[in-house]
Amino acid sequence: MSFWFWHGLRKGIQSTRYPLGIEDSPGVSPGRPVNTDFSTVEEAQRAADICPTGAIVAHDRSTYVNHGKCVHCQRCLHSLQSPMNWKAGYEWARLPANQTESLPLPSPFAKSMHIMVVDAGDCGACLHEVKQLNNPLYNMHRLGFFFTPTPRSADLLLVVGPVSENMRGPLLKTWEAMPTSRKLMAVGSCAISGGVFGKSFMCAGGVGQVLDVDFEVPGNPPPPLAILHGLLVVAGRKSLKSPEPILKGRS
Amino acid sequence: MADYSSHIAGGSAASLIDLTTALEERFGNRVAQVTEDGGIVLALAPSEPATLPELCRFLFWDYGCLFGGITAEEQPSRWQVHYAFLLPASGWIDVTISLPLETTALPSLVGDVHAADWHEREIEDLFGIHFENHPRLGDFVLHDQIWREGIDPMRKRFAADHPQLERKVDLEWQPLLVVGDPGSFAMPVGPVYEGGIGESLHFLLETVGEDVIRAVPRLFYKYRAVEKIAEGKSVLDALLLAERFAATSAFAHSLAFCQAAERIAGIKVPPRAQALRVLLAELERLRHHAGAIAAICESTALAVSAAQAAMIEEKLLRATCAFTDHRYLFGLNTPGGLCRDFEPEKCKALLLAVDNADGDLQVLENRLRYSSSFLDRLEEVGVVNGESARDLNLVGPIGRASAQQCDLRRACPYSGYEQYAFEVPCETEGDGYARLRVLFAEAVQSKKLIHRVVEKLEQGPVRVACDVQRPGAAMGWVEAPRGAALHWLRVNEKGVVERYRAITPSFNNWLGFHMAAENFAFQDFPIILATFGLSATECDR
Amino acid sequence: MALITGASLIAFFFVCAAAVLFSALLGRARIPTVLASAGVLAALLMVLMSITVLVTGQPFNAALWTLDGFGSFTIRLDPLSSIFLLISGIVYFSASLYVGSFLKRHGDAAYPSLRYTSLYFALMASVVLILLAGDTPLFLISWECMSILCFLLINYDPIRQSDKSAGYIMLAMSEAGFLAVAVAFILVARFAADFSFSALRAAGATLSPQTMWSAFLLGFFGFGVKAGLVPVNFWLPRSYTAAPPVFIPVFAGITLNLGFYGILRLNADLMHTGYGAGLVALIVGSVTALVGILYATTEGDMKTMLAHSSIENAGIIVAAIGAFLVFRAFSEPVAAALALSAALYHIVNHSVYKTLLFEGAGHVEAATGTREMDQLGGLAHLLPGLSVVFLVGCLAISAVPPFNGFVSEWMTLQTMLRSAVLTSTSVRIVFALCGAALALTAALAVTCFVKTYAMNFLGFRRGAWELRPESKLVSKFPMAFLAIVCLLMGILPTYILPLLNEGVAPLAGASITTALVQPFFTATPENAQLPPAFLQDFHNLGAQAGRRFIPGRGLVVLLRGGAANPVVFAMSPSYSIIALAVLFVVAWFGLRRLTRHRTLTRRPVWAGGIPRLLPLLTYTGTGFSNPVRVVFQAIFRPNIVEDTRQTVAAHFRTAIHRKREETHVVDRLLLKPVGIAVEWVANFLARMHHGKLNAYVTYVLAFFLLVLFFYRGG
Repeated sequence: MSFWFWHGLRKGIQSTRYPLGIEDSPGVSPGRPVNTDFSTVEEAQRAADICPTGAIVAHDRSTYVNHGKCVHCQRCLHSLQSPMNWKAGYEWARLPANQTESLPLPSPFAKSMHIMVVDAGDCGACLHEVKQLNNPLYNMHRLGFFFTPTPRSADLLLVVGPVSENMRGPLLKTWEAMPTSRKLMAVGSCAISGGVFGKSFMCAGGVGQVLDVDFEVPGNPPPPLAILHGLLVVAGRKSLKSPEPILKGRS
Repeated sequence: MADYSSHIAGGSAASLIDLTTALEERFGNRVAQVTEDGGIVLALAPSEPATLPELCRFLFWDYGCLFGGITAEEQPSRWQVHYAFLLPASGWIDVTISLPLETTALPSLVGDVHAADWHEREIEDLFGIHFENHPRLGDFVLHDQIWREGIDPMRKRFAADHPQLERKVDLEWQPLLVVGDPGSFAMPVGPVYEGGIGESLHFLLETVGEDVIRAVPRLFYKYRAVEKIAEGKSVLDALLLAERFAATSAFAHSLAFCQAAERIAGIKVPPRAQALRVLLAELERLRHHAGAIAAICESTALAVSAAQAAMIEEKLLRATCAFTDHRYLFGLNTPGGLCRDFEPEKCKALLLAVDNADGDLQVLENRLRYSSSFLDRLEEVGVVNGESARDLNLVGPIGRASAQQCDLRRACPYSGYEQYAFEVPCETEGDGYARLRVLFAEAVQSKKLIHRVVEKLEQGPVRVACDVQRPGAAMGWVEAPRGAALHWLRVNEKGVVERYRAITPSFNNWLGFHMAAENFAFQDFPIILATFGLSATECDR
Repeated sequence: MALITGASLIAFFFVCAAAVLFSALLGRARIPTVLASAGVLAALLMVLMSITVLVTGQPFNAALWTLDGFGSFTIRLDPLSSIFLLISGIVYFSASLYVGSFLKRHGDAAYPSLRYTSLYFALMASVVLILLAGDTPLFLISWECMSILCFLLINYDPIRQSDKSAGYIMLAMSEAGFLAVAVAFILVARFAADFSFSALRAAGATLSPQTMWSAFLLGFFGFGVKAGLVPVNFWLPRSYTAAPPVFIPVFAGITLNLGFYGILRLNADLMHTGYGAGLVALIVGSVTALVGILYATTEGDMKTMLAHSSIENAGIIVAAIGAFLVFRAFSEPVAAALALSAALYHIVNHSVYKTLLFEGAGHVEAATGTREMDQLGGLAHLLPGLSVVFLVGCLAISAVPPFNGFVSEWMTLQTMLRSAVLTSTSVRIVFALCGAALALTAALAVTCFVKTYAMNFLGFRRGAWELRPESKLVSKFPMAFLAIVCLLMGILPTYILPLLNEGVAPLAGASITTALVQPFFTATPENAQLPPAFLQDFHNLGAQAGRRFIPGRGLVVLLRGGAANPVVFAMSPSYSIIALAVLFVVAWFGLRRLTRHRTLTRRPVWAGGIPRLLPLLTYTGTGFSNPVRVVFQAIFRPNIVEDTRQTVAAHFRTAIHRKREETHVVDRLLLKPVGIAVEWVANFLARMHHGKLNAYVTYVLAFFLLVLFFYRGG
């Protein structure tokens, strides 16, 4: 079996340099629409109208994007005569709308954080992107982040999915089972706003409807680096105000 | 039952005309109608539900049809229940029964076509139609410990948008255990488990310690009522749901949905769009299979191979994103074609990435084939024999690993698949290793298909206007990465969705999971689970 | 001193008789009190007798009367019997209190009767007589009395008409053993002047190898039946399971030891066996230990499990005795002394903690009405006191320091390592294999008792039983007393070993205390090459520490290998417990300081988010030990007798039933073939006797011809 060992070594280091450097391989992030100034009021209104989840709000000739609602249907990019501006990048973590400040975890946790992931009705994309953090290309462990199978030793509860009714109980139980000094991070538009599933008899319409969220990572799904950024923010190793690197323009 | 495979193997695939004749001989003067797109509609009168099981049995066992699924719809004055069967290489058979709305019970198919089990349980739970002689109804989609009886959310009178506050918290909850071994107990796994990177579902392993006697999955923790909330939406908005209920096979499901909408609208998709759809569908399959292989490697704790496979998958995700601007192929399909075109340079870059992935996969396969400790853990593990696979109508790579050759791309081609030559890999052992071999072989075929599509790619538009404004119902089908997916759609004259039904491969195959998970050693459980590679979200919808 | 011993001896028999008399006079209601107080008094007298002998080192002799042809009946209490008498005293002390309290609280009207008291004290007297016997007739007579009394006690169960056959099987085995023992003694006595042990001892030194082997094998078989050795122990689990709970402590803690006493008395004291006999004992002991613990680990019935565990401990003890015999035959007195003291220490330990565990098991059975570990669970909340003492027993039997099991198992394994001094390679290989088996046994014992404690006292209640309220009133003192003995013997081995040394030294030819401690520290020529400062340090540490506070030896058991392998083995549970206690205190205060501003929140058990964690979703005892069953499948060979699946509508599983049957490996490999052979011979003989005259004439003729053929030359 030793050939596996050599096979592994031969590949060399594949992990991204983020957060020490910038990751700019093609395809690490799908980008997202950003606030755009149009030349006419009608164009702005059309952009707002085409958005199926109401993530784009038009005001005069400008449009503003609520990324927590954006489901990345690309209609404002491909189905409009004058499309919205899209910007690449992945440092997307943010505070929930109803919160002005969330403290990161206390400093002893900064170097090592154990993460409990709960799938509360996720479509598989966000969960898959979370799973990719264990991929050698991202290799979350080098930063001291670990997934843990039990909430008893978890510092962060990472929730994906809009919280289906059948998962509401298990989600609450998981949160209760965690020791205090815990943080909750909602990952993906569904976890933030319900996404395409919205609010219904079967969907709570976001984790915020059930528990108090400390941090959010918008995106449908947010790419692994965006989730990594969120984790760094929760651990207090990145501030939310850090300027977003512009990697490639697409307008 | 003895030689069912010869029917499906295609050697003697009977045509639909033969079938209509046979049906007339067998069931008297009921005439089956052949529809314009080559299917049969077999309408049963409301007065004769009793012949339904016999008819289905005839189609499934005697005539070698494949079972597609059951779709119930509530129309203003009646129930309409569609039983979809596929005669390979010929077309779909839609056995329809109409019943007055007062009807509360239908005969159950489970004695004749066991694959109908979960379909009937779902309909009972969501519509409140009882199925006579079905031994295990209730507590399926709506978990008994939360939902009280008598809620039928799929009925039209049920408003989907306001939350159900009347909850029943059942402290008397008890799992159903059947094992009577002295000292046996049930080990609960889930719904929150496995470091959290598993999907939410629950297993009950009935065990006496080291030997697990039976493992029963309990699903629908992730049920988001996609079919219900799609009702009343426009086709374009419903498409978003079809695309996003199962992201790892998003393109396949959106394609099936779009095909249904296009069939209702009666339009033809331009050839370039068809070809690009094939390309994207195969790209998704390749990426999915790379991910499934990574999961299998991980389950056997062969860390290096798992890391290698995971890197292949992530590189494919990045290539996909560079090609389509989305890592999971969201926002590409639209009724009438694709939202956007792709430049030749991008196609070239994609081909390079696909070739690299394929090369890496072949290296991985060759190494795995000589890792005896890896093979020991897969061989003879989680065996589903061909007979059970046929009985349970297993689809996709799992079915093909158990000698079920059906592949919709071949059995009922769509989106121009008939133009491309490809093989449908098939194994007979039905164990974990057979499933892994099928995944590797299919990845190779996908790569070849992508090359062929790019070679043959014609210039032209990728989209035609498709405004679904006329009433109608149609079914779209695809061979999703995990197997056959059927999307059944009915829209009204305003283009609003009246009923949307998604029958997914995971829904079909989870039913068969317990066959593989009987009498095994505890440490084999993750392996059986990984070789099945099923998705809870695709099943739950 | 001899006066005290003699007086206590007379007082002991007087108390026994008085107890019977008083229970006849005072009536049923008072019987528990009479039994407890008289039992305690008798036990204290036993302890007094033995202590006087052990402290002075002078045997107590008395001649009773003389019978023609048999010689004189004599009583002799030497250090070896004193050790066993001491154990019996400790066990009887606890057992009598336990029986008294148990009967009083549970009030089973049928138990306290005159017959019961008589049997109890008769057994006590016969046990003491066996230990006191100074000659063969007295020994054999009291042994036979003990066997019959044991049988009567096992089948004495007026309430539960349980397995009566268990008692008969035990009686049959005991009688077979008795016959073998009697023949063995007579074989030796043929060469002796009379039947007294001193005459036998004189004759035993000059026996021919054939006589020696015959006597050894017969005696080993006969006493092995009582000690529970493979392959003659099948009676033991059955009869222990069938016996009333109030008696088992006596069986496990006292009568089992008589087997070891017999083996030691006959083979170590009266005869001087060769090393072959020692190897036989070593191998049989190791196999017994391994088989015993395997069946104990997978057993679900608490009493049966403890019985199998007794077999395991008997195996360890006999293995150590075997090692002693080998070392003595090879003239390695130091190693022999170590082996014998390990064996004796383990005998004491096993009696103490096994009595404790059996008392606990009886208590649990009485409180819950079941002994099935798959049914029990969660008793720690219901019976907290019992839970603590039972935990001590489990830790002690699992050889976890600071309890006594650790000391004796450490010494036993050291004994096995000591085989390095032997010159014969083949003997060393046997030692290595047996040592491995014993180490495996020790590891499995931990599994077994983790399971026992966890399944009975932790987790959920699995069965449908209710706790009987009166069971809370049963006194825990007898068990707590034994738990304290476990702890003391665990932390103060340097005080126990000198007592045992009195019994060891005459047999091994070396003193254990000097063997273990002295030569290394004192400036013997052998140690001359070591730096004096180093010697001084160790001397203070091992031999002198504590001398200023407490009279006695140091707190370290030290053992130095021979010239070929001069490794120092050291153990000091005393210092360990002091260090542990200090660590605990420091940690406790440290934690309190760190968390003084924190509040404690209790959250429900995490179970993966399922609605409720039910008892049927947690491990059962069978499930816990099933990995052992799977790993050792070659030994257990489960035979699946039922494997059915019921379905409805052709597909839906409604029930899966599986049932396994296991034949004990000894029954399967040894007894079954023997049984088949006996049956075949019997059948053959039966076919010969069909009553036809001409056939009989043919037999006679054939026999006649045969005789002629053999004597043709004569």
